[in-house]
Amino acid sequence: MSLSRNGRAIRRRLVQTVPVVILATFIVFALLKLVPGDVAVTLAGDNASEQRIAEIRALYGLDRPFLVQYLGWLGNAVQGDLSRSLLSSEAVRDSIARAFPNTLLLVVMALVLALVIGIPLGVIAASRRDGWLDRAFMAFASVGVAVPNFWLGMLLVSTFALRLNWFPATGAVPLSVDPGSALAHAFLPALALAAGGVAEVMRQLRASLVEILSSQHVRTLHAKGLSPAAILWRHGLKNVSVNLLTVIGLLFNRLLAATVVVEAVFAIPGMGGLVVNAALNRDFPVVQGVVLVMVLVVVAVNLLTDILYSTFDPRVR
Amino acid sequence: MSAPAPAALPPSLPRLVLNWLRQDKRGALGLGFLLLLALISVLAPWIAPYSPTEQDFSAIFAPPSADHWLGADDLGRDTLSRLIDGGRASLYASFLAVGISALIGVPVGLIAGYLGGWVDEMISRVIDSFLSFPAIVLAIAVTGALGIGLTNGMIAVGIVFAPQLARLVRARTLVVRNELYVDSVRCFGAPTPQILWRHVLPNTIQPVIVQITLLLAAALLAEASLSFLGLGIQPPDASWGSMLARAYQNMEIAPEQMYPPGIMILLTALAFNLLGESLREALDPTMKGH
Amino acid sequence: MTTDKLAIRGGLTRRQVFLLSGGAALAGAMGLPAFAQDAARAGGVLKVVAPSNPSSLDPATGGSGFDHSFLWTIYDTLVEWDYDTLLPRPGLAQWAFPDPRTMVLDIAPDVLFHDGTPLDAEAVKFNLERGRDDERSNIKADLVNVETVTVTGPLQVTLGLKSPDSALPAILSDRAGMMVSPASIAEHGANSNRNPVGCGPWKFVSWTDNDRIVVTRNETYRHASRPSLDGIEFVIIPETATGLRSVTSGGNDMIYQVPARLKPALDRASSVQQFVAPTLACVKFYLNYGRAPFDNLKVRQALNFAIDREAFVAAALAGVGEPAAMLLPKAHWAYDASLVDLYPYDPDRARALLAEAGHADGLELNLGGYNDQDQVLRSEIMQAQLEKAGFKPRFTRGTLPEISAQFYGAEKKFDALLSLWTGRPDPSMTYESLFGAGSYYNAGRTADPALTELLARSREVEAMEDRARAFADVQRNVMENALTVPIAFQYEVSGLSRGFDGYQPNLLGKPRFDAIHLV
Repeated sequence: MSLSRNGRAIRRRLVQTVPVVILATFIVFALLKLVPGDVAVTLAGDNASEQRIAEIRALYGLDRPFLVQYLGWLGNAVQGDLSRSLLSSEAVRDSIARAFPNTLLLVVMALVLALVIGIPLGVIAASRRDGWLDRAFMAFASVGVAVPNFWLGMLLVSTFALRLNWFPATGAVPLSVDPGSALAHAFLPALALAAGGVAEVMRQLRASLVEILSSQHVRTLHAKGLSPAAILWRHGLKNVSVNLLTVIGLLFNRLLAATVVVEAVFAIPGMGGLVVNAALNRDFPVVQGVVLVMVLVVVAVNLLTDILYSTFDPRVR
Repeated sequence: MSAPAPAALPPSLPRLVLNWLRQDKRGALGLGFLLLLALISVLAPWIAPYSPTEQDFSAIFAPPSADHWLGADDLGRDTLSRLIDGGRASLYASFLAVGISALIGVPVGLIAGYLGGWVDEMISRVIDSFLSFPAIVLAIAVTGALGIGLTNGMIAVGIVFAPQLARLVRARTLVVRNELYVDSVRCFGAPTPQILWRHVLPNTIQPVIVQITLLLAAALLAEASLSFLGLGIQPPDASWGSMLARAYQNMEIAPEQMYPPGIMILLTALAFNLLGESLREALDPTMKGH
Repeated sequence: MTTDKLAIRGGLTRRQVFLLSGGAALAGAMGLPAFAQDAARAGGVLKVVAPSNPSSLDPATGGSGFDHSFLWTIYDTLVEWDYDTLLPRPGLAQWAFPDPRTMVLDIAPDVLFHDGTPLDAEAVKFNLERGRDDERSNIKADLVNVETVTVTGPLQVTLGLKSPDSALPAILSDRAGMMVSPASIAEHGANSNRNPVGCGPWKFVSWTDNDRIVVTRNETYRHASRPSLDGIEFVIIPETATGLRSVTSGGNDMIYQVPARLKPALDRASSVQQFVAPTLACVKFYLNYGRAPFDNLKVRQALNFAIDREAFVAAALAGVGEPAAMLLPKAHWAYDASLVDLYPYDPDRARALLAEAGHADGLELNLGGYNDQDQVLRSEIMQAQLEKAGFKPRFTRGTLPEISAQFYGAEKKFDALLSLWTGRPDPSMTYESLFGAGSYYNAGRTADPALTELLARSREVEAMEDRARAFADVQRNVMENALTVPIAFQYEVSGLSRGFDGYQPNLLGKPRFDAIHLV
């Protein structure tokens, strides 16, 4: 494993992320601006005269050329100033600081659930390969990938929150305020989100483990008398940890994108709700800010995953 | 690396398909379900008991009965009829979205993979950008630009899925490009578009077909999400996603309305997935096991 | 208007005098809440689910009819009203009309704003002039009749009016009468929207958008024993079903503006008490009668005949509401029963009228509607009814501010808008706003001179019976000309957790929390 070669590759990847981030925010900005319909009219509210609308347009710089507006925003963003919401005047940075922890808690919890449920099931499936248990679990995985997670959320709310009252039905509580309540609020939505994740983890793990099980090294261990389960736990998992890491990385990003609708079902004030509301109301600064943060997170996670993968997988040169 | 497959499929295609279906139950199951669904969708106007938009205030939230097999919704409209009609909309939506993503993604991927160099670099960066931000935002932005509605929403979803397809096609094109077979043809001076169309594309088609089938499931779920948020199909028309949204609002009063559309989405997505996985194994036996 | 002779100067309000003299029962009969006097039950923080984010917490710059419940916690008004009939009563000030073009306001003494500055004549003058003249003000139309504002004593302000205006007291119970601290405006300027300072029962703490608004007890409130609650936390949940769930499951304490169709869920929740009461909120079609097709009287009348109002109440409002024959409900003091049978449900007659107007093959209508769940449901019902009567309606949906602006503003995108009129304390304000020439909510911007004259007359007479008769004429003109299509009145449905009590709904349908207390 050549460190300098890796370092160069990593640096190259880092450099590549910059245009990606800029391009992403540019695309969204362009799309929102293409929209017919004038946020200035909405902002001016009832009883607004044409003059008032023009005033508002000038006030928020909405009448400047498109590129000027974008570059202005970008220049500020680089210095940490994400501007203010057009509709409420709240600083975008504050809105995001409030919303992001709720989404993050949800995604991390879903990830943990996916691993806690998916790994043991994957191991069992691989160890009883082609048996009825394996087939049942794989069928379960197929269902998990196909189920719409907001429907699952609805079912969970209906049963566990409304009928049985085991969990709260709506809302979120910040971890810093009350950890117990925060986890209780996040559990059902995280479970709904995790369904697809459980399936993915199960499948990936099973596939990698099956591959390892049939390798020479393991066959020798087996010949020496170790049971498949013991082999898997002791040797298999170590080797699949790399694959698992990449799965976690991909899963994190997919979950981040999937939280939007789940947040709507559970009325969680997270990034999803923030960006959907803002996009529907053409509140550009908020949409831009949220997209920027989410893109940065996704890109960072991808980068981290790639680095870990190339560092730890002995097969990658 | 296996030898490149010939550009044209063997003549006994129907027999191949039958063999495949007989061997792999999943494929048969998936395909069968989808064909049944397609049939019902086509026959909808004749087999649905009511018009999907017919309101009947005496039947608001009616439980399942002989009159309304699956009950009725908050305006007394028959759920079964809406389910059938919704199926048409949802299927149309999925195929539209995937069609658009193929229309955009396949050529882009081919060009990027074949031409390489800075064209590839540029296209890859654009693809990465599209893949890195939340799809729903793009969908909202596009529907905002084009106007809210099922067709526009699905165009947005198609645009969102195109980069995934482009990436796949690009990867396969890179591999195929370097194969001797193509090099030898290029040496004979054939023009690039012809090479792409006649030689590169047929060899990349197999994983693309598989991916398309899997994308159909994803498009179905995307349509459901968009309609749930009110951005897809517009009332009074029905789609499974919008039916779910209504059922959600009335969860305390008529919880059983949640099940028909949700189960249909699940089964259809499952069918697409099963079909896709089965195709994947059938088309490339070396990829078995994952 | 009779002047309230009881001494406000003595520091006692009429209400307090009544209560001290054992008049609590009387207070109830007068349509006022019986304010809890027992200090032992004071305290508690009420978590209220609100359906929308306010447009602004500055009364002069806001635009939404739903802001008032937030505003009334922070601001007291010059004039208040009776909860059941909306008849005006003295609030921060008593009023008198020494002559038809002069109004004298006598301000209650010893009232302090939340920032410690006093409410005096200068402060009142500042507020009234700001409402009338400031470029950011959205209430200019309410005060356009006030020509001069003069300080005639440390606690007295005299208004010179352009024309007699008996609607002014009611106007001063709305946004125009909400007193904002002049010092806070000087300090915050354009940020007044997010930094509200009034002299109401609670003072502002924080506002996080689309999430929460927090207010806390005003220790120097002018009524010594009020408010009972230590504070109120508004939790903003636009999705009404979700909001209701949070109350029935105990997460929040109160919810108002519950859509009637969710009432069954409220019925089933044993931990929540229900309040159902009539309001002025009217579901209606706003028509642009300044251009085709609604410039034709027959087409407007056809639309009125096409609507089955009883069925609408049954399906859209779950029976919790009443059909609307005019823009005032049965409980209002200016209701006119003679208009009830003007437009019975008659789709055949509608079709015939359309044919007479030249639309025998059906008339395409370009309609605007909002995209929240209740509005969508209503628009679907309307679509089905209109189709049966020979119309070909097509709804375009979007957010409330966007679609409203497209209809009322310069674009004039739709022929009609399906929306809600939340109601105003005085009927003349409603009719002026909706049908006055050049008024924003009159998309056609034109007005029948006869109507303008009738409206002016309603503001010239003082006695309630005379005003009621003047309004009967106004309403007859509006409905016979089918200038609008009233559909139904919403009833207020509110839920309050059994840990609290004392809530009293008001006819305006915009809840006030002043009397709520812990149980």
